[in-house]
Amino acid sequence: MATQTVPLKTARAGARRRPPARGGGPGVFGGLAHAALFIWTILTIAPIVYTFLSSFKTNAELFGGKSLALPENFHWDAWGRAWEKSHIGQYMLNTVIVVALSTFFTMMLGSMAAYVLARYRFPGNRLIYVLFVAGLSIPPFLALSSLYKVVDNLGLLGTHTGVVLVYVAYSLPFTVFFLAAFFKALPDTVAEAAVMDGASHTRTFFQIMMPMARPGLISITIFNVIGQWNQYLLPIVLLPGDKQDKWLITQGIANISTSAGYEADWAALFAALSMAIIPIMIVYVIFQRQIQSGLTAGVGK
Amino acid sequence: MTNTPREITRRQLLRRVGLTALVAGPAAGFLSSCATSGGGSEAAPSAAATTAATSPTNPFGVKADAPLEVVIFKGGYSDEYATQSHEPLYKKAFPGATIKHQGIQTIGQTLTPRFASGDVPDVVNNSGTDALDGGALIGAGQLLDLTPLFEAPSVDDPNKKVKDTIVQGTIESGLGGDPAKPYTLNYVYTAYGLWYDSALFAKEGWTPPKTFDEFKTFAEAAKAKGIVPFAYAGKNASYYAYWMILISAAKIGGNEILINIDNLADNAWNNDSVKQAAAAWAEIGKYMDKSYEGLIHTEVQTQQNQGKIALYPSGSWLEAEQAKDTPAEFKYAVAPTPSVTAADKMPYEAVRAAAAEGFVVPSKGKNAQGGLEYLRQMLSKQAAKDFTEKTKSLTVVIGATEGLTLSPGLQSVADMQTAAGTNVVTFSSFEGWYKELETELRKQTNALMFGRISAEEFATKMQEAADKTKNDSSITKQTRNV
Amino acid sequence: MRHGKLTPPVLRRYGFILAFLILPVALYIVFFVSPNLQAVQLAFTNSRGISPTFDYVGFENFTKLFEDGVFWAAVRHHGVILLAMPLIALFIALFFSFLLNLGGGQSNGRMTGVWGSPFYKVVFFFPQVLAVAIVGVLFQAVLRPDKDGILNSALGLVGIDPIGWLIDPNLALWTIIGVAVWQAVGFYVVLFSAGMASVPKEIFEAAALDGAGRFTLFFRVTIPLIWNTVQVGWVYLCIAAFDCFALVQVLSVDRGGPDNSTTVLPLEIWRQAFTYYKFGYSSAMGVALVFMVLTFAALTLRVTRRERIEF
Repeated sequence: MATQTVPLKTARAGARRRPPARGGGPGVFGGLAHAALFIWTILTIAPIVYTFLSSFKTNAELFGGKSLALPENFHWDAWGRAWEKSHIGQYMLNTVIVVALSTFFTMMLGSMAAYVLARYRFPGNRLIYVLFVAGLSIPPFLALSSLYKVVDNLGLLGTHTGVVLVYVAYSLPFTVFFLAAFFKALPDTVAEAAVMDGASHTRTFFQIMMPMARPGLISITIFNVIGQWNQYLLPIVLLPGDKQDKWLITQGIANISTSAGYEADWAALFAALSMAIIPIMIVYVIFQRQIQSGLTAGVGK
Repeated sequence: MTNTPREITRRQLLRRVGLTALVAGPAAGFLSSCATSGGGSEAAPSAAATTAATSPTNPFGVKADAPLEVVIFKGGYSDEYATQSHEPLYKKAFPGATIKHQGIQTIGQTLTPRFASGDVPDVVNNSGTDALDGGALIGAGQLLDLTPLFEAPSVDDPNKKVKDTIVQGTIESGLGGDPAKPYTLNYVYTAYGLWYDSALFAKEGWTPPKTFDEFKTFAEAAKAKGIVPFAYAGKNASYYAYWMILISAAKIGGNEILINIDNLADNAWNNDSVKQAAAAWAEIGKYMDKSYEGLIHTEVQTQQNQGKIALYPSGSWLEAEQAKDTPAEFKYAVAPTPSVTAADKMPYEAVRAAAAEGFVVPSKGKNAQGGLEYLRQMLSKQAAKDFTEKTKSLTVVIGATEGLTLSPGLQSVADMQTAAGTNVVTFSSFEGWYKELETELRKQTNALMFGRISAEEFATKMQEAADKTKNDSSITKQTRNV
Repeated sequence: MRHGKLTPPVLRRYGFILAFLILPVALYIVFFVSPNLQAVQLAFTNSRGISPTFDYVGFENFTKLFEDGVFWAAVRHHGVILLAMPLIALFIALFFSFLLNLGGGQSNGRMTGVWGSPFYKVVFFFPQVLAVAIVGVLFQAVLRPDKDGILNSALGLVGIDPIGWLIDPNLALWTIIGVAVWQAVGFYVVLFSAGMASVPKEIFEAAALDGAGRFTLFFRVTIPLIWNTVQVGWVYLCIAAFDCFALVQVLSVDRGGPDNSTTVLPLEIWRQAFTYYKFGYSSAMGVALVFMVLTFAALTLRVTRRERIEF
């Protein structure tokens, strides 16, 4: 399987831990464990590999009752058609910009609010905290019509600014909730020492508390990136059809799926999907150690 | 009521004569005096700020350099007819205008937010499985009354009004609102029926079934050959199947069955004709593999092209839609739906043929006059001829097929039309008027055809849905008499 | 650090608090709180969204809701998804991360994961990096109901007839839950692995030395030790489960079918608002749900607050 070559490298890097020589490892349990892991690996990889291979198939091959067979020949025509028509590159770029900006501002504003709410006492603290946390239980689609109107009235409909602001607002509850817990857990002594030394509140936050909370910030960032990357309902409402050049990858893919269905051009659909999948996979494989260690540090507390 | 000759309304007669005129050529001038447009008194478009002086070549006073935004449903007809013919024709008339074109499938999902925000295109081809709720748009004053278009001089002959250059019945098929006005231009003359490969049928010695008893015999024969006798796509095209049920209901009980359904008349769905039609089709549904409920239309159509399916319910866009995937030896042909009972009010030959594929002009567009003008250009002979050439489908424009050779499917449509004579099954307006009811019908059609509910339950559930629509104060009600 | 009077440091302190709170709170109020409040207002109108005029209709929308079978079907499905999806995903993820981190038994006196665990951790994460709409489109091909579907082709190899994953009303919702689980598991494997990595190995080793079997090690030792992490994951999974719109819209028959068996609230709220233009009724659905959600949230908070907030 072609897709395994890259991960294998990381497997080797981490292979300092040798398989156990003894100690109840193998046997029935070990066998079952490996079987379960192997099956899940197949379940994970097979659809992705199938997508890639299907981009080379004709309709007859796809629907001829032999859908597990390899394509007869590897023509890249469908990839050309998909690239030309589907604007995958544009959608990816848009999504990266939107998610990068909205995650940045979510973390920035979220940690500012969480810090103040967690470590300062002032009238209204509890109220604001509850207001944020209550949002945790209200999913974005509940007020879809009025959200749409609000964004429209501000003239932000069909703009990335509008999407970023909405993403930030809807990510704040989760972010504030967990970061507040994080900041609360940081030792008081360091902050107090900083203030004694004459550091301003702002400096204390940016130069001392933020770095101390870094593990937590990283893991919440990962949650937010994944959550915002996956958004579909908000973009289709906030980026209407005439703003096709502003679309995000999720709505773009859904649209390609519909039009490929209408044009009976499934090879192009699979090619477009592959184009959307492969770059993300590469980026992920490059950064996977950071993601893992980021999460490890984050939950390690 | 039984066995009386079919009632033929004047309109149906005219419509059917009109189609013959389309296929036969230009000699349809004698129809020209019948004007039946709906409202007539509505003033011209409201966006007066952008108008220029009117003239016979610019009857709506379109500002020459005003940009025009056109949204085309990119389905069976694709959108090349617009980008390569209609839009260039508009530009020829208004060289200073820029045209923004969008060809998409999800008209409703894409445009609804724009209607809500008031930033609308100038022409919308409202069609497909995800179309806009026309009734709601009319109720909210979002669509332009097209009467001025039909009263305007035509492109080809300034002495003739547009309404006299198109097939009779076109205007009525686009009526909506209360009082009824023409809000929709249905551009394509569409025939509905069961489509098959005439080459395959000739090879197997089959003919399309004329009754449901024959249908079952045929189904067994096809099954024995390993061919699925009848199938449709449940995932996104269950309406192809409900068309068949509605057509059969009209054949059994006459067109008033469908008119009552449109008018939300009491117990319209509980009528025996509806139940009999549903029961007959549910029997055929038993021959379908369950998997068809999870497929989309092009997947099923491709299977038919591969010789795996005998009969497929659709409209006359099918041949063009499948052109790319149709093998050379595959010859599209169409047959009417079989008769249900011996006492049917309409004969086997009766077909549903109607102007379809709606175009609307949003009333709040920036260049609504341009929208009207675009439709006027579309109704020129050149535009119509280009459309037929590109899509293998007839338009409502009279005499636009001169010099064209008809494709096998289109020839078959013409033959079916001739055989039908005056027996025309009427269209259904509720599909566009009441989107919620239509959605429910799709669900219940799948449930019926895939054997989860009986015909009786189908009728009951649809009646409940129709009553719910009727009692919903937020839905604008509409009616039709013919 | 307490200050009683409005001395300059106190003013600075309040200035700082204000400066830090103003932007997040303003943004939150404009784009989160105000739409939700307006939704409450809209819920009492017959607003159609595409026309500027509307009337107040009192509780009409809510009485309609009670008779709306589709709404209740959506609520029920949401309940099922909310319970089942996180539970199944968490369980599978916990099981795998246990195998990957501790399942290898002891080697040289240390607990290890099974052989190849770094590889598995990377591969299992793949689905999470694909946006959910991509997953939906991908699974259209996997779950095709005829013998050309990938899953059915694979089953066909061992002689199982094609299964109508998405067309059997009794199966369709569970199929969609399965796809959601498929996507989610990898992330939580990595998350829980991180959790387990942060627990001192000696604890596991001591337990193992005391003769704890793998079962005990998993349920009695591992899960309690990483309970905090499990809770974070659970909260986030519930948020994800709430937004199951994309999968249902892309995968299901006729958007929510067959026979409404897969419809979910976001789909109905979206359909009422952006297909039927019933902004009023759509908002009423949302508002009615808030009450149900708040009940649920109160429970969630009770569980999590104990551990995370009042540290």
